[in-house]
Amino acid sequence: MSGRHKKTAVRWLSTLVAFAAVAIMLFPIYAIIVASFESTVTLFSTQFHFFPYHPTLANYETVLLGIQPGNLASVTITGDQLAHVLTSFEIALATALLTLVISVPAAYALAKYRMRVTALFVGALLVAQIVPSIVLATSLFAVLLKVHLVNTLPGVIICDGTYAVPFGILVLRAFLFSLPNEVMQSARVDGASEWQTFRMIVIPLARSAIITVAVFAFLAGWGDFIFALTTLNGAGFEPITLGIYSFLGNNLANWGAVMAAGVVALVPAGVLLVIAQRYIATGLTAGAVKG
Amino acid sequence: MDSQAGGALPAQPRSDAPAARRSARRRGPFSRLSGAHKQQLAGWIFLTPAIAYVLFAFATPIVYNLAFSFEHDSLSTIGSINAPWAGFFNYTAMFHDQIATSAILHTLEFTVGSLAGQFIIGLSLALLFSSRFPGRTVARSLVIVPWLVPLIVTGVIFRLLFQQEGGAVNQVLVDVGLIHTPVNWLGSPTYALLTVTIANIWLGVPFFTLLLYSALQEVPAEVKEAAMIDGAGPWTRLRLVTIPIILPVIEITFVLGFVFTVKVFDLVIGMTGGGPANATQLISTWSYALGFQQFNFGEAAALNNVLLAAALVCAPLYLLLSRDQLRRTSGAGR
Repeated sequence: MSGRHKKTAVRWLSTLVAFAAVAIMLFPIYAIIVASFESTVTLFSTQFHFFPYHPTLANYETVLLGIQPGNLASVTITGDQLAHVLTSFEIALATALLTLVISVPAAYALAKYRMRVTALFVGALLVAQIVPSIVLATSLFAVLLKVHLVNTLPGVIICDGTYAVPFGILVLRAFLFSLPNEVMQSARVDGASEWQTFRMIVIPLARSAIITVAVFAFLAGWGDFIFALTTLNGAGFEPITLGIYSFLGNNLANWGAVMAAGVVALVPAGVLLVIAQRYIATGLTAGAVKG
Repeated sequence: MDSQAGGALPAQPRSDAPAARRSARRRGPFSRLSGAHKQQLAGWIFLTPAIAYVLFAFATPIVYNLAFSFEHDSLSTIGSINAPWAGFFNYTAMFHDQIATSAILHTLEFTVGSLAGQFIIGLSLALLFSSRFPGRTVARSLVIVPWLVPLIVTGVIFRLLFQQEGGAVNQVLVDVGLIHTPVNWLGSPTYALLTVTIANIWLGVPFFTLLLYSALQEVPAEVKEAAMIDGAGPWTRLRLVTIPIILPVIEITFVLGFVFTVKVFDLVIGMTGGGPANATQLISTWSYALGFQQFNFGEAAALNNVLLAAALVCAPLYLLLSRDQLRRTSGAGR
């Protein structure tokens, strides 16, 4: 084989290996999607089916419309998953909003103002990122109890902010360093107030970093399970993650429906991956915290 | 001075005032302060919500947690931090609690196993993606997908894959001939922790891959070529050239990976709920069971503090590795 041919062969071999690796990485997601279209009887048979075996929409009917298959008519359905999806959306959007409202101005102050607390506060944020969520959950429950926010949406949203606020401030701050001071300087010379400079100059220029943080905060709020589990207990509403958990506990007889609920919980992540892939990759490289 | 304005407009201010007032309207409420003070005030106003949030959502819980761990708490006293003093009772109880001590051990095994697996697979994928081949951009962007799955769903997926009957893993192993009868991965105390660790490796590989990949892009091509000319094989080049160059990134990846792994909760709850026979009980899951199922908030807080201490061991290292962020205390305002 000549050198060039060998090189080409190595490249295609790399492609093959890479896509085999990607296939293994993505297989679990493929598996739950296939499983969500199988009956529970099929899922509990001795044979695993790599391709749809007897595809059915029954699981989605159970999850989205509350219709149980005939043989499981006696098993009660815990809640309406469609309502859970809506709750998840509210929580995720509000978490993103809370994160931006807190972190954009803070990052600006920490990047562009000479303040004595800067080093201390940035250090505190780095440490805050490290604190495990379960540690926060136990005592945040107590704190929320004190301020009467247990079993409320604002309560769980404040908790979910802990995933994204420190991350958001640090990522935005790193980005804002790259903005030349002259831009703000000239706005001030033109008579803009500090607030106007921030709102009309800084925010538009930081747009891409802001979107990255918003996407991450949204996904953190959407995927949160710990804080929903610990702060919502008989609130009358729950996000899809908690819905899946209750489904898991009460409804193991309908394993297929659990799969469908899991797929429903994947949808927004999939949509965001398609429309905001660039921002997700940026955020992950910036060291996004999860869980 | 005012007399100068005459009687028609007795309240007429100094002549330069209208201009000042006009510019005050234009510039907002801080315009009367000097530049430096104005900046200070604006900076503080921008920072206040963040400081308030960090105090409420991080500092207060940590203080509460410390207080609870020295108190006899129950659901009725949990809203305040003045329950009866318990001294070190909760800590003693924790170390005599066999499930708690085994949970600490499991967390250690789980973390070491996860990080080893994530690093080896992550570095391999990063090296693979650094070579030029058709379709590498697509492959690289698809690798991050597992990261986007809500953790509780990941738990459910791996419960499906590792099912004894009809699970994909057993199916493949039997078909290939590695095992004869299906293994009860999640139902047997022997395999359950290993199974949960495998799921967590899957979860962490995208993070390791992406960070190590971006570090590999920084390795100068000339260095690699020079090593190649000197006759170094691929393994030698990796060990003596590439790894030393990307070592700082490897360090920070491990530190962050440790922090992420030591607190894993959702995944285990979704896969095993801590069972069978507490074989996959981690610090996080047992702390949850103690606090929210047995209402033993004191011991839960003590256990939480062990977890917090483990995570904070990394803090000095993390701060050291992030010193660039800290050193740049100001981008100079004016």
